[in-house]
Formats: sequence, C-alpha cells, structure tokens
Amino acid sequence: MGLRGYLAKRLVYSIILVLAVITVNFLIFSMLPGDPMQQFVSSLRGRTTEERYEQLRHHFGFDRPLHERYLTSLVDMLTFNFGRDIISGDPVFNTMTGPLLNTLLLMGTAETICMIVGILVGVIAAYKRGGVLDTTLTTGSLVTYSVPIFFVGWIVILFFGVQLHWFPSGGTSPIEWARNPPTNILEVMAGRLTYIVLPALTLFLFVVGGWILLTRACVLETISEDYVLTARAKGLPERTILYKHILKNASLPLITNVALAFASLISGAIITETLFSYNGMGLLTWHAIYPVPNLPLLQAIFYISALLVIIGNFIADLLYGVLDPRVRYG
Amino acid sequence: MNQIRQSKRGLLGVTIIVFFVVVGIFAPLIAPYDPGTPYRDPGQYPGYGVNGPKIAEKLCYPSWYKILPWVYKGSIEKTESFRNTVINVGSQIFSNATDLLVDDRIAKPLKVTVLFPNESARDLVLGKEWTWDPVRLRLIKLDWRTAQRLPNGTRVEVNYLTGADMTDTMELVTDYKFSSNETFYSVWETQTSQPELVNVKYNSQGGFKNDGSVEIKYLGSNYISDGEVNATLLLPFKYSYWTPPMSFDTHFSVRVEASAATNVTITLWLRNEVLEKSFLTATYHVASQGEYISYVGVSSSNETMTNVGSYPERIIFPMPANMSFALSVNFPDKKSDVTVYIDNLQCILFGNSFGLLGTDNGSPYPPRDIFSTLVYGTRVSLAVGILAAVFSTVIGLFLGLTAGYVGGAVDETTMRFADLLMVLPTLPLFIVLIAVMKSTYGLVSMWNIIILLTFFGWMGFSRSVRSMVLSIRERPFIEAAKAAGGGKFYIITKHMIPNVFPLVYITLATAVPGAIITEASLSWLGLGDPSIPSWGKVLYDFNVSGIAVTKGLTEYWFWIFPPCIAIALLATAFILLGFALDEILNPRLRERR
Repeated sequence: MGLRGYLAKRLVYSIILVLAVITVNFLIFSMLPGDPMQQFVSSLRGRTTEERYEQLRHHFGFDRPLHERYLTSLVDMLTFNFGRDIISGDPVFNTMTGPLLNTLLLMGTAETICMIVGILVGVIAAYKRGGVLDTTLTTGSLVTYSVPIFFVGWIVILFFGVQLHWFPSGGTSPIEWARNPPTNILEVMAGRLTYIVLPALTLFLFVVGGWILLTRACVLETISEDYVLTARAKGLPERTILYKHILKNASLPLITNVALAFASLISGAIITETLFSYNGMGLLTWHAIYPVPNLPLLQAIFYISALLVIIGNFIADLLYGVLDPRVRYG
Repeated sequence: MNQIRQSKRGLLGVTIIVFFVVVGIFAPLIAPYDPGTPYRDPGQYPGYGVNGPKIAEKLCYPSWYKILPWVYKGSIEKTESFRNTVINVGSQIFSNATDLLVDDRIAKPLKVTVLFPNESARDLVLGKEWTWDPVRLRLIKLDWRTAQRLPNGTRVEVNYLTGADMTDTMELVTDYKFSSNETFYSVWETQTSQPELVNVKYNSQGGFKNDGSVEIKYLGSNYISDGEVNATLLLPFKYSYWTPPMSFDTHFSVRVEASAATNVTITLWLRNEVLEKSFLTATYHVASQGEYISYVGVSSSNETMTNVGSYPERIIFPMPANMSFALSVNFPDKKSDVTVYIDNLQCILFGNSFGLLGTDNGSPYPPRDIFSTLVYGTRVSLAVGILAAVFSTVIGLFLGLTAGYVGGAVDETTMRFADLLMVLPTLPLFIVLIAVMKSTYGLVSMWNIIILLTFFGWMGFSRSVRSMVLSIRERPFIEAAKAAGGGKFYIITKHMIPNVFPLVYITLATAVPGAIITEASLSWLGLGDPSIPSWGKVLYDFNVSGIAVTKGLTEYWFWIFPPCIAIALLATAFILLGFALDEILNPRLRERR
C-alpha cells in the first residue's frame, strides 16, 4: 500500500477519533447526572432574581434542545472557540495559554532529559547485562517506577527545598514579580528556571525508571539477533555495531514512546503541579474542578489533552511508517 | 511455580505480597484500635455517650520517641525576665498582660529578683512581703495596704525549674469498674468526716453494669453536727514528667438512693503536693433517683474549673510531683438516710505521645491511631488493587479474544472504542467523574473507584491479547481443530486461552501496582472513599491538617513515611513478581538464559 496510503489511512482515522472525542466530551459535560454546570447555575437560583437566572440559562444555552447544543459544541471545538470562563469571564483560550506554556516548559524539560538519560543508561545497562551495574539500575528503576509520585515529590521538597534551601518548593515565579515583572529576558528565564527545577526533578525521577527498563528490554531483544553476531564476526568496531545496528533496530518502540510521551504531557503532571503549586495545566484542571466546576475550561482542557494525544499517536504512526517498512505493507 | 522460587526477585516479591496479605487478613488482631471508631473502652464510660472517650490527643508522637537522643528530656533551670509586673492592690489590678505570659509553667519559682530602674536589684523574700501567683503569673503583695505600683521599667526575674518530656497517655485507674474488694482497697484511700455516720465500702453489686461499685452510706441523724458531712475516695499517683499533659478528662457515674427526695454534692479534684494546691475539676449536685447518671469533667472546656486560666493542665501538672485524684461526696441534708453508689471513676491524662506511630489530626474528630489506620488500610489497598486488576484483565481478555478471533466489524468497533478510551486523559477524567459522583450521590464508595479503574484499564491488555490471537489463529493446529469440527467457543477456550494465559499472569502482576498507585493518588487528592481507611487517605489527612505549613514536613515524618513506603513496597513486590513471571513465561527471554 505504500507509505502514502498508510499515512492517509491513519490521518482519516485520527480525524474520526477527534470527532469522537468531541462527542464524548460533550456527553460527559452536558449529560451526566449532576452536571456541574447545571448545578452551579441552579445553585444561584435562590440567590439571584428569577430573570437573571433565566438570563444565565439562556447564556449558557441550557434551554436549547440537545442536538443544537451538540452541533454548536462541535463547531466550537473545531474552531478552537472555547467560550468564556465562568469564574473570570475571560475567554477560556486566554486563561489557558499561560498555564499551557508553563506546563510545556516543565514537562518538556523533564521528558527530554528523561529520554536522553534513560536511553543512554538503558543501553549501558543492557550492554553490561547481569553485572552489578545492571542489577542496581534495574532494581532502582523498578523502585522509582513503583513509588507513588507524591512521595518522590515530598522527598525532593524535603531534601532540596527545606534542608538545603537551594530551590523554592512551590510556585511558578517569585512573588515580587507580580507587581513589577522584570523586563530583561535573561532575568525572567533565570528566575523561572529555579522554580522549574524541583518539579522537573520529581518528574524525572518518576519517569526515568520506565525509560531505562524499556530501553534495556528493547536493546536486549535486538542484541541477540543474528545480524549482530554477523556484524561482530565481520570485525566492525563495537561502537558502530551499537549505534548503526542495535540502536536503529531497537529504537522502534522507543520512538513511538517518545511521541506518546509528549502527547500525555498535560495530563501527566496533575499531581506534581498540585504538589508544587506550579501554575500549569495540571493545577488549572484541579482548580477547574474544585470548588466550583468551571465547565468551559474543563471541556477545553480535556479537548486539548485528547487532541495532543491523537496528534502524538499520529506522529508515532508516521515515524513507525517511515522507519519500519514492514508496517507499510502489512 | 517452582521456577519462581529460583528467581531471587520473584521470591522477594512473593514474600512481600504474602506479608501484606497476612497483615490485611489479621488486621483486627494486629491493630490495637479500629480506625473507624477510635474510642477506648466503649460502654465503660457512659458519660461520654455510646462510644467512650477518645484514645489520645491529636498529633501525638509515637511512644518510642522518648528513646531518640535528640528529643529533649529532663529539667533545666531557667531565668525569665518580665517587665512591668502587676501588683495586686486590693481590688485594683494594674497590668500589662502581654508582657507576662511567656511561660505558663512557672509553678514554683526558686528565686525572684526585682530590678528597679533606679535602685539596685533587690531579692524579694517570697512569702514575707510578696508572693508569686502562678496562675496569673504575677507578684502579689501580701499586705495590700502597703502595696504600691512598681515604677516604669521595673523588671522581675524569676528563676524556676522547668523541663520538657514526652508524656504518655495514661489512665490513672485501671480498676475503674471496681471489680473486687481487694483491688479497691489496694488502690483507693477512703476518708470520712464522721466515721460513725458515714460508711464507705465496696459493693459487689449495684454497679453501672452490676459489676461492682463503691457504696457510701450515710445514716441520717437528727443530731445535726457542726461542719460538713462528707466522704472521700482518694487515689494517690505520681506524675513524673516535666511537661504537662495535653489535656485530661475525669469521669464518674453516680446513683443516689434516699428515703426522701434530697441531693448530694459531688466534687472532683486534683491535688498537687509540690505546689500544695488542690484544683477543683468539677462540682455536681445530684438528686436522689433510682438511675445512674454519668458525668464527664473535662479539663479546659469545663466552666466549673474557674480561676485556672484557659490551660488548666499546665497549672495543675507543671512538673513531676506526687499528686492525688479524689472524689468527695458531701451530704448537705443531714437528716435523711442517703446511699450513694459510685462507679466508673476514672481520670485520663492525655499526653503527647501515643501508640506505635502517633495519632493524626482528627479531622473527623476524634484523633485516630496512625498505626491502626495503616494496618486496616492494607486491606483496602490490596482489595482495590487486586480487584481492579482482575476485573480489567478479565474484561480485556474477553474483549481481546472476541475481537481477535471473530474479527470483522466486532474487531473494528472494539479496537476503535479502546482507542477512544486510551486517548482521553485518565487522571483528569477520574477527577471529574468522581467530583460529579460526589455532588450527586454525596459520597464515593470503594466500588465506584474499582469500577472506574476497571473501565479505564482493560484497553492495553485487550490489544496484546488480540495481537496474540491474530498470530495464533493462522497456525496449523487451529485449522486442524476447525477441520475436526470445533466451534468458535471450543477453539477459544481449549486452544486460545491456554496460549494466552502466560500473558494474563504477567499483566495481572503488572496491573495491580498501577491500580494501587492510582487509588492511592486519588485518595491523596481527597477523591477516595472517605469512610474507609486507605494509605492515600492517611496522606490526605496529613495534607489537610496543614502540618506541612505550620511545623514542616520533618516534624511528623512518622506520619508520611510509613504509608508511602508501604505503597512503594507493595507496588514493587508486584512488579518484581511480574518481572519474574515474565522471565519464566516469555520463551524468547528464556532462551538467552
């Protein structure tokens, strides 16, 4: 079928998935019993006048029939018009841009370092299989993989934030910046960087174990293949074998994981961001649920997260298709 | 199974899992208190209501904190300096109260020095002209006629003994039930004002639960004697700590029988021999009637404890001392025969250390023992983890088999549905769904969480099963089975499932830690079932108590670390088991060994 056909098929599928996600989004947020939005509006019933109540209902569109609301929601989502925030009245898009960038900064840094370190360490561990280094690394990865993330976060805060006072243990930027933000871009970057270190370290410790184990497993699978033996018999230097033969062939699941990791950027950081009060998408989601559910914001966050995952999956499929010829013709 | 024993990691994993399962099963035997009802001796202290008193004060340290070397214990001599101390001039009190209450534990000053701004220092001779009021922490001139206001800038220095200690939580009396004659007389001292008229003895019947009580019989006489007629039960005890208890409770049950309608006055008090002061805890007027009435005399909230400030325990127990706890019955009506029955007499001192791991903040009051909560939480975590993993594996197996074998439209729809669920962000979705459930049904139960975890956990496994089924489907022996006349169901059960089962074991072993950690994370965020003790909930209580802000994370490390380590251990154990199973059951890995 060829690469183009394969990609076209995956693209169509992704678009269908996006539409399905929008539908599910609409179903969840409009049709669940105890719809938070309805509850919020109806909780105002006793507190505002009757006409204001009707106004609100009309404004949020609760008095329109279901299919009309669905179509409106469909069009809105596709055009990235997320409506207005309940609490602040700002367009949701504006509310989301700041935290989105913050999260991308945090998770991007953490994931990138994780990947680089994880892959390198995983390869070393696989190479020296059975040795002391391998066993310690594997056991260490297993432990960090299974320790709950808030524990890692607490220990990190305790150690670096409280005892050593190297880094602040919460927040996104220094408090003084609220009144007079610095204009020098380097100063801004340096200041923000100190607030990213601890959450990024927590995420890194939590995720790197998985990467090490995955890389190790993949490399071990290819290292016993026959062509590696042939390459060795040919007398190729070890490094060439490692990079050109082993890594290239073993890296398929790794690369798909890379794409998927970036895809789950937003949802993965909820606990870390709540723990560190870092003003990112995770904390935004949390604030959008308690104490009052902020429906348009929640819908938008869900949608963006799912969209990113779908895009990430598509990119993973793309890479897979380019790198592994078996897929295109399967 | 024998092969697991050969693998060291598998063995370690299985050992840890078995340990936790045993702890979970025998939780009521291992944990000293039920975290759902953290009360001591329900039914024995009817004055508190159905349940009885709380087991300890909130935020207690563990009992073994005493042996840690860096915890300060013992006495020191301190010198405290107070400015503008008050002189009690008759009924007028001049005070600058904010300077005074630096340390409420100055019970017995060793030396008081007054430093006047203009003259040199003068040591006051306590007891002669001046005296020290430990309650209001001020100097009082004994002869008010010669009292005068101290000039501005006067400083008073007080040398006193104080110290710090980890105080235990103790019940003063173990024989509160008055269960036998010998124990009664060995523990309690009795005193009466008129021995010939008032008789105190132990009565083996007539207690609150007919298990023994103290009977005080007064034979009324027409000869009205001067003075009070009373009887006292006295319990001497030794308070051996340099820190006062965090609070104390007193309790008694009383029944008054009389020939005519009359009443008696009952007083509870504590006496400190070092201070040579008696402190009233409560006074009650009890009318004669047939029933038992129970009373609780509580420390700081009892209005009848007047003149001791808002922290009476600091005034009553400032230092190690011989003390006594007493109950007095006073008969104001001297003419009639009155019999008073006393039962459930108890004084409980709540210290700042308790249990194996201390107590929590008691956000639904009363405070719970953290160790018991941890032990009972094992059940919850294991149950949720294993059930969620088993359910999702079963569903994944079923759907994967059907999709893989039947193929066609069923395959497409199932896999697309799985894709859709995998695309949605799980944690935000959980949070939203649970928040919605909470607002409609009021609470989230454990089963809701299990159902949620199952609903979002089957996708990965069904994919693996499906791909395995697809690869097995083309093998010759399946064709042979079909040729022999086997139907779909027969082939699936007899041929597919046995080949897929190694995958099932491995997936089960690796799905359980995911479920455990997700459940712990949800409880940590406060979204779990609030009525069941869970490890994540212990951490949620810690967050909610605000201790991390007020005292820092290190102060109560014994609260955070055990649940986190328990979660990590259990999850690691299952992962180790999964790895061992993977090594055993995965043929490709086996070849390389």
